[in-house]
Amino acid sequence: MNAVFEKRLLVVWLGLSAITMVSLWIGSHQGRPSAVATSGAIGIALVKVRIIFREFMEVRHAPALLCRLADVWVVITGASLLGAYLVGMGLSAG
Amino acid sequence: MTNVADAPSSPDRVEVRAAAREASEPARVARFVPGQPDMWVFVFVEAFLFTAYFTVYVVCRTRSIDLYLQSQAHLSLGVGTFNTLALLASSWSMARCVQAAREGTYGAALRNSFLTMFFGSVFLVSKVTEWTTEIHEGNTFTTNEFFSFYYFLTALHFIHLLIGFVFLGVVVYQLWSPARRSQELVETGATYWHTIDFLWVIIFSLLYVMR
Repeated sequence: MNAVFEKRLLVVWLGLSAITMVSLWIGSHQGRPSAVATSGAIGIALVKVRIIFREFMEVRHAPALLCRLADVWVVITGASLLGAYLVGMGLSAG
Repeated sequence: MTNVADAPSSPDRVEVRAAAREASEPARVARFVPGQPDMWVFVFVEAFLFTAYFTVYVVCRTRSIDLYLQSQAHLSLGVGTFNTLALLASSWSMARCVQAAREGTYGAALRNSFLTMFFGSVFLVSKVTEWTTEIHEGNTFTTNEFFSFYYFLTALHFIHLLIGFVFLGVVVYQLWSPARRSQELVETGATYWHTIDFLWVIIFSLLYVMR
């Protein structure tokens, strides 16, 4: 296998695994609700998803439409989850 | 479904993919849709459907935050992390399988598809063990709202994983014989498998990590 791409895939996998350990660290501080921890957890997940799209699913080599569609889904999902959490917590507090 | 043997366009597709990979400025040289476009339609339909499920979960969670936090504490964050690492490893080996098939090193492609099956099986066994443990501790589908979401989301994902094994079986079947090899089909199977991976990444974040 081409050494350059093999190395790139290895770096991507190790990077994704390392980011997962950050999620583990965030999740290990259970207790009170935390907008910062939640935003961090969702943000990290979406960064990982975008990396999977671009590197493993090869969207970075895909036509612009597919690239944008993948990015739009990531943005909509992020906005939906963070919006639902922040608005919901705000309403609960009120 | 297009076989290399009977489709003159297939070698061109392989060359386009190789050119895109090797070009220093791929945007200007050659761009391609990995696998069959129909699979991408399916992927985005599924992805938006899961976005709706995730959003409903978060809305419900904010209405009973203490219940969700107490219930979440019964889950093992270590097991969730292990599951995530297993699926990431499976995606890595699947990406290597696609690349090896593209380069014509079908032995390596087959090895990587088996490796993907292995990592997928690790996730599968780990998930069943986790469910069994939770049920033995009295945390079932009807225990409370959090566990209803937990079983719903993880079971729905599990079904997708099982379908992923069917795709992997087709990929192995295609790679096994020179007469059947189809790069497009290998990429289509990989696209589905990576979808299972990225959906789990968000499920892990919502069920195990968020507060």
